[in-house]
Amino acid sequence: MIGTSVDHYRIVSKIGEGGMGIVYRAHDEVLNRDVALKVLTKDSIDKLGRDHLLGEARTASSLSHPNICTIHEVRKTSEEFYVVMELIEGHPLRTLIADAGLPSESVFRYGIQIADALAHAHDRSVVHRDLKSSNVMITPEGRVKVLDFGLAMSLRKEQLDDATRSVVDLGSGSELVGTLSYMAPEILQGQTGTYQSDIWAFGVLLYEAATGKLPFHGRTGLEVGSAILHQPPPALPSHVPPGLISVVQRCLAKDPALRFQRASEIRAALEALQSASVAGREQRDSQVGPRTLYFRGVDHLPVKNGDVLILAGTNKGLFIFRSSRERSRWQMAGPYFPGRAIYAIAYDNRQDRHRIWASTSQFWGSYLQSTDDFGRSWTNPLEANVKFPQDSGASLKSIWQVCLGHPEEPDVMYCGVEPAALFKSCDAGESWSLVQGLFDHPHRPRWVPGNGGLCLHTIVPDARDRSRMLVAISAAGNYRTDDAGQTWQAKNRGIRVVYTPEKFPEFGQCVHKVVSHPNQPERMFLQNHWGLYRSDDAGDSWHDIAHGVPSDFGFAMLMHPHDPDCVYIIPVESDEFRCTPGGKLRVYRTRNSGATWEPLTRGLPQTGAYETILRDSLTTDSLDPAGIYFGTRSGKLYHSRDEGKSWELVRDGLPQIVCLRATAVNELGGFAGTNRPKPSRSPARTFSKRRKKRAKK
Amino acid sequence: MAVIFHIPGPLLVYTDGNRHIEIDASPADVREALELLFSLHPGIRARLLTEQGEIREHVNVFLGNEELRHLDGVATTLEDRAEITIMQAVSGGLKPNLGNCVRDI
Repeated sequence: MIGTSVDHYRIVSKIGEGGMGIVYRAHDEVLNRDVALKVLTKDSIDKLGRDHLLGEARTASSLSHPNICTIHEVRKTSEEFYVVMELIEGHPLRTLIADAGLPSESVFRYGIQIADALAHAHDRSVVHRDLKSSNVMITPEGRVKVLDFGLAMSLRKEQLDDATRSVVDLGSGSELVGTLSYMAPEILQGQTGTYQSDIWAFGVLLYEAATGKLPFHGRTGLEVGSAILHQPPPALPSHVPPGLISVVQRCLAKDPALRFQRASEIRAALEALQSASVAGREQRDSQVGPRTLYFRGVDHLPVKNGDVLILAGTNKGLFIFRSSRERSRWQMAGPYFPGRAIYAIAYDNRQDRHRIWASTSQFWGSYLQSTDDFGRSWTNPLEANVKFPQDSGASLKSIWQVCLGHPEEPDVMYCGVEPAALFKSCDAGESWSLVQGLFDHPHRPRWVPGNGGLCLHTIVPDARDRSRMLVAISAAGNYRTDDAGQTWQAKNRGIRVVYTPEKFPEFGQCVHKVVSHPNQPERMFLQNHWGLYRSDDAGDSWHDIAHGVPSDFGFAMLMHPHDPDCVYIIPVESDEFRCTPGGKLRVYRTRNSGATWEPLTRGLPQTGAYETILRDSLTTDSLDPAGIYFGTRSGKLYHSRDEGKSWELVRDGLPQIVCLRATAVNELGGFAGTNRPKPSRSPARTFSKRRKKRAKK
Repeated sequence: MAVIFHIPGPLLVYTDGNRHIEIDASPADVREALELLFSLHPGIRARLLTEQGEIREHVNVFLGNEELRHLDGVATTLEDRAEITIMQAVSGGLKPNLGNCVRDI
């Protein structure tokens, strides 16, 4: 075709070839200028239809913008269909992106121009449909020119289905890879391309420009499609400014409604980031990485190897108590996070960690925050680390429980939240994902909130079988998985419900706490909203064990760390009068798996003590003899050094105590409250090593 | 054209301590303006909005002296030099400065 003419265009040379056709450099003999001439393949014309193509191309030719490749003319002959375009000298953006991505300044500069081009087109009802880095040219002057507006070949539904079901290796250079990798989830689900799908593609392009990699990839169409539909984009590296990360994430929201609604919004955001980046480059660079909180005016505790800690979460902040191994005198530090409610605490000492986790809640949301230096510094995530996927329709209210995973999985953690759901982390709390199997349980629409909301407040991993776990939800009852969270079954047989006509329903129980011992995980104990129960078959069936307690109503329940037959509870009078019966503060203990219960009262007030002890405010340090601790809503913190025979007041006058954990600092981890000993090691070595590792992050 | 944000004490840790943030742009409505703010200070988004993009229950956003819930929400259109104030609801909270926590990196 070189050297021939099409109308008054003389074909000079071939520039390139794509899925739609061949592009030539041509000379316009009438206007005496060079142009690009795209001759569409017969296949393209057949697929799209001549009239459709002509209509689209004519619409696109109406666009006049410095960042859009101008379409001069669209011609249809009996044989051919061709588009005459502005000839652009330059390079495709794709070829300019290095392995590590472009510098942020370049991403902003190009991104703003692309966004401007998109905004112009969208304002004129033109959707690109195939925006990608190979369709963006950069001229030698640094100007962006977006190609092929409105001309993109839309894949037919059958083609799309074929592509996304394919398990054949695509090969990195295939046209399909280029197209699939930028496709929005809704396109893969068969919808027509809209402004929102252009914005998704722009997010993919920005991600690629910033990192050098596509956010969703795979060897086959099936893998690429699955990643787009189901996986979040991998985290952007730390050199990418947080603001740009935020823009990319917003573009890549799976739900189109949660993306930027207009390209002009993205342009404005990138412009603001660009000016801030230029004006305060040093300042912005310093924002990389998670922020850290320090608390003024708190005398932090000098924690030594062998010390014992009590971590007290209150509705107005966290307090840390420290004692030597004798547990006779306690120093206090806090409040950490004053004004925030601390609904859950965990102490993770697996793999040389000495990490305290706290769930913090206030008007501004709920977050998991941790310290590796006993409170001197705390992580403060810029974004919520525990959050529901956008397509779940749910929003996090509170994090009620944080729990370490199976000992053989030292980076696994779980948290239970309101609205009732379970989240899992496989990287020691850095990132969390929803356990979908439980969230999708068919019972969930019929779960009813308890007084405290619809919350998953108790997590009991099975110490022997890592695929098994039981969780308790108020007021839905117990659910157990035996396949690592894929499926869940209600496990409430024998547990009575007093507030529905049916007394023993499959689910709907208001379970308050469940405990089990790692050495005997199939035996479980349960404090219900009215009722004390034991199960000897991992929750398959439950039997009443309320023999000799003043009330079988209560919240708190604790497993003895070394004796699988020994359990502690603190009964309260009733659901209406949630205070200790008769004004007597009594801890009850069974040492025969619930056959009998004995009151433990020495050192506790036995008159006028109308106290309430919440479900997570009873704990142990797991030493031998075990220290037992409990806190009250009135802000009193008690402890026993002799497994409950006698009690002392550690502190009065705290805010309402919501949760307690206790630990010896040099112990090997396990399930919360049931830690097992490990050989002591030099605290100086351990803590400094940990600090250095964190500082590097 | 510009829009001006007033940031409450507990959120100053996310704006490098800046109580007033003036953005030189022409957002059409509050939602666009918030996106600009989030772009500059990403930590604000999660504090202000739920996962579903709704303003948190106990957070109020004012355009001038009017709370957004009494206007058109985040779709409320903006005029030049609009002033948007973020506040926590009536009860609780810290002192109107950095509280007693300070940020470091």
